[in-house]
Amino acid sequence: MPEIEIILAGLGDAFQPVTLLFVLAGVALGQFVGAVPGIGPVMAMAIAIPFTFGMDPLAGIGFLVGVNKGGLVGGAIPAVLMNTPGTPDAAATAFDGYPLAKQGKPLKATKMALYSSVTGDTFSDIVLITVSAPLAILALKMGPVEVLGVMLLAFAVIAGLMGASLIKGAIAIALGLLAAMVGTDPEHATPRFIFGNFELYDGLPLASVAIGMLAISELLRRLSETSGRPRPAIALPRHQPRADRSVSWAEYWGCRFTIARGAVIGTILGALPGIGSTAAAFMSYASAKAASKQPASFGKGNLHGIAATEAANSSVMGANMIPLLTLGIPGSVSAALIISAFMIHGVQPGPFLFEQQGRLIYGLFGAMIIANMLNLLVGQLGLRFWARVITAPEPFIFASALLMCFVGVSLASGGLFGVGVMLVFALLAFVMSALGLSVVVFIIAFFLGPRLEISLSQTLALLNGDPLKLLNYPVALVLMALAAVTAVMLARRRDRGHDADENSPSKPDA
Amino acid sequence: MATDRYTGLFFILFGVVLYAVIVPWQAETVEYGWLRPRTLPRVLAVVLVLCGLALVWRPVGDARPGNLHWGRAIAFAAVLVGGLVLMTRLGFVWTAPVMALALMWLAHERRALWLVLGVVGMPALIWFTVAIMLERPLP
Repeated sequence: MPEIEIILAGLGDAFQPVTLLFVLAGVALGQFVGAVPGIGPVMAMAIAIPFTFGMDPLAGIGFLVGVNKGGLVGGAIPAVLMNTPGTPDAAATAFDGYPLAKQGKPLKATKMALYSSVTGDTFSDIVLITVSAPLAILALKMGPVEVLGVMLLAFAVIAGLMGASLIKGAIAIALGLLAAMVGTDPEHATPRFIFGNFELYDGLPLASVAIGMLAISELLRRLSETSGRPRPAIALPRHQPRADRSVSWAEYWGCRFTIARGAVIGTILGALPGIGSTAAAFMSYASAKAASKQPASFGKGNLHGIAATEAANSSVMGANMIPLLTLGIPGSVSAALIISAFMIHGVQPGPFLFEQQGRLIYGLFGAMIIANMLNLLVGQLGLRFWARVITAPEPFIFASALLMCFVGVSLASGGLFGVGVMLVFALLAFVMSALGLSVVVFIIAFFLGPRLEISLSQTLALLNGDPLKLLNYPVALVLMALAAVTAVMLARRRDRGHDADENSPSKPDA
Repeated sequence: MATDRYTGLFFILFGVVLYAVIVPWQAETVEYGWLRPRTLPRVLAVVLVLCGLALVWRPVGDARPGNLHWGRAIAFAAVLVGGLVLMTRLGFVWTAPVMALALMWLAHERRALWLVLGVVGMPALIWFTVAIMLERPLP
């Protein structure tokens, strides 16, 4: 543990004008690129790294952290305003954010996303600053069997998103997992379902599938519904009541448990290398819906849905730094980029980092907290601008969004092949929606599929065909039991809801 | 109800084709290891067949294909596919304005100002942001 004067000196460095300026620039840039679908903070960080070479290490790394944190907030803006998530981890934000925007409350939705994002991020930063070392050791003890337990728990939780039909939910999961199997199989590294396209060796591009299914299919649907004189994409009343433009303290406080749950889920999953913020966002959304007294209001503009998703995906960022700073293991692509920035500046992350570079690390912690505050400030100004932009006519907004998706996906997936994949999955999502198959469940299964198959393969190898060996993995057993209990509870809840629907006089014609 | 039954039939057929044709064709035969390349895809094929059977036997009835404007959706999808084909040959700079114009025109936008903003302004802004500011190659 570094001495107190080193901690204070480090935190003081974070308040140097140069550091503050670069963190602010990073946050502003991150929010801007995060709001452009497909580009996102990871690409912005990759582009920005060479520019940090000549900077002071704290200013350079603080700038990159600012880009990452700003991007997490920025990704929610198009998700809420256009139903086009800027980043895959903001996909679930659109479920409730967009309906709320359509009700003429885009500022309320984006502000809730901003507040919960900053709260979740600050929570995980505090966890990072206070208990990173023991958490990292715990995360390191999570082997393949335990990760399989986490995956099974995740699948049990997403069962809550399946809707009324278990059969259609199972079809969506099966299709999502099937799409996740495109590429090389994890155990033998042989090609699978690539149909002669070598671009598919690494699997289907995540950005193509997510943006195609969530954004392009929705844009197609909205464009196909246009008729007569073009309307604004979102109509804002001239004299909007304050309650519709902002989030009151009571509304924020009402979401405290949802935000806390999301922040905890994001922090735990963020500390485990390789799971990522998208899984955390969907898991948090599903658990918020499962815990809600009004689950039917989710997907129709419930503030809890936005809060759950944004708190979870943003809290992954701080938690990703736990294995990075303490063990030198990057937990995500953005953490891997930050590790490369450390190395460019001659800093070797790992167990001795706090001892050798204590001042820099505590300076970074200070910069992270400052970045959260600046996120709040820049977000407040930026959201008003974006909310105005979205009042332009539908044809202009939708055509612009489609062009941005083409460019963004092409950049994210390394060419127009990814755009082709995006269009295929957009059409698939369009047909799936018409048939009552859940696109959301498909995407979650697609995100979690590769990790599930790898951990299942490793678990089977470790157990060597003997299920009794599972007793040697008590944490995994607890997680698997929790998954079973969750699945049973959600199934019972669904049955109760189904019975209630059938007895209800206002039941829609099914 | 009928849509669900047809959907169920489709998934039965798809599951059988997946199990018997696609998996043997597109996944290698490996005789060792715990989780072979064909294992999970075949499990999923069986799941799809069972779910298809369940849908035929007990349709859910929440499919609403009639609620969508299929004709217009196909027209917009055709513009996107055409835009992609054109972009592979001519690149973003020449294709984006044409694609934006086609999309906006199909969506009944006829006002000159908005057409100019969408056809010239937005592609120019994207070009400036990506190619000039971020120094990334446009498609």
